[in-house]
Amino acid sequence: MPRITYVEATGAETTIELAEGWSLMQGATANGVEGILGECGGSCACATCHCYVDEARLGDLPAASENELAMLENAAAERQPNSRLACQIKATSALDGLVVHLPETQE
Amino acid sequence: MFSFDPYSPAVDADPFPYYKRLRDDYPCFWSPEAQMWVLSRYADIVSAGQDWQTYSSASGNLMTELPNRAGATLGTTDPPRHDRLRGLIQSAFMKRNLESLGEPIRAIAKDAAEELRGGRSFDFKDFSSKFTVRVLMAALGLPSGNEAIVDEQTVREKAVLMVQSDPHTRAKGPEHLAAYNWMQDYASKVIAMRRAEPRNDLISNFAQAEIDGDRLDEREVLLTTTTLIMAGVESLGGFMMMFALNLADHAEARQAVVRNPAQLADAIEESLRFNTSAQRFRRRLMKDVTLHGQTMKAGDFVCLAYGSGNRDERQYPNPDLYDIARKPRGHLGFGGGVHACLGTAIARLSVKIAFEEFHKVFPDYRRVAEQLAWMPSSTFRSPLVLELAVG
Repeated sequence: MPRITYVEATGAETTIELAEGWSLMQGATANGVEGILGECGGSCACATCHCYVDEARLGDLPAASENELAMLENAAAERQPNSRLACQIKATSALDGLVVHLPETQE
Repeated sequence: MFSFDPYSPAVDADPFPYYKRLRDDYPCFWSPEAQMWVLSRYADIVSAGQDWQTYSSASGNLMTELPNRAGATLGTTDPPRHDRLRGLIQSAFMKRNLESLGEPIRAIAKDAAEELRGGRSFDFKDFSSKFTVRVLMAALGLPSGNEAIVDEQTVREKAVLMVQSDPHTRAKGPEHLAAYNWMQDYASKVIAMRRAEPRNDLISNFAQAEIDGDRLDEREVLLTTTTLIMAGVESLGGFMMMFALNLADHAEARQAVVRNPAQLADAIEESLRFNTSAQRFRRRLMKDVTLHGQTMKAGDFVCLAYGSGNRDERQYPNPDLYDIARKPRGHLGFGGGVHACLGTAIARLSVKIAFEEFHKVFPDYRRVAEQLAWMPSSTFRSPLVLELAVG
């Protein structure tokens, strides 16, 4: 199972082994990672699962869809080139060891 | 011999002991009565909800599907069509775009609560149904006031009826289909009104929307509008009944949210976990899947029992305890994945405002009847009547 490390804005790190196919948002909310809210339940409709993906690994992720790029406009924290929505990233073996940083605020 | 019949009145009344047996002993269970598999563990439901390629919604998502709906609504299409349809609608339901509705919703809640002031006991539905229909009319831009084309409580009655099913035939009965037809007729009249004189509201915009330069299929416009009205009225009203029931049964929780209304948000989340009105939805397998030693075949239907996943002790410790301090993140009260409820933000906002205002008039109440009459539905769960005594 791919291991994903979430780094909260406070610096607190949590590493979770995610079932293949689970989104990084669901992995976070089901395991007590506070910095991801996922208010809409994973339908790419709220931008409260904003995260910053380790830039060196960006190429390992499928590109963001139009819907995701549009929804990122609504993110509460600063949008950066490595901004993604965690609900749109599904855990696969290619992402093993991925580190995502979480913003200070999601709303 | 264990059986799980989602049409049974016993399951309407209290599905939770069945769910526990399912999770512990039959996590991938074939229900002959429902003619589908039942997934009941949190992790299995989340996995299935993520995997729309395997667990398709295109053959319908209600446990007992309404005729002609599959393939024509948000809940009954798969990506990429689903995503394009949803893209047309969802901005209207985003939290930041709902801010202007806050004051109208509060006025509706105040009115509905004031109408009951002075009563010593009443059916909570008298509050929730008035509130729900008026909020939905405001949110969707349905004709109301002088413009109204139907009685508002008829809209509610038909919405509640069309989601029900017959416990004996395990199918929709003639009264349910008649309600569905009534709602389609109503939706089509509203669509025609908004096309003739478009306004800046959801239905006007949707009725004229295009995807890749093509107008939406007429069936998509009609049935998506029909479903928005049904889901809005029935799901919001049903959840309010469940939330009132929880607060009536748990006096400490009620006192806490009356004292500090900011805690309503946490109580709403716990109620969505504890006994969401959206108990079970359906998917259809696009390929064979083997799970817990059972092989489910391509073409088989699968029930995702959200209400069970929310009580899974593998995810939530002490799951049968109603605890408003729990903050049950990741709950399945709105489903999950691409088909997670479109109305999460308006539901949270409306229910919070409704109970803030209701509690100003009625801070103390308790349930009158020990036994409740539950709605006969394979998909949704809420009491038909909730008699409350004041004080």
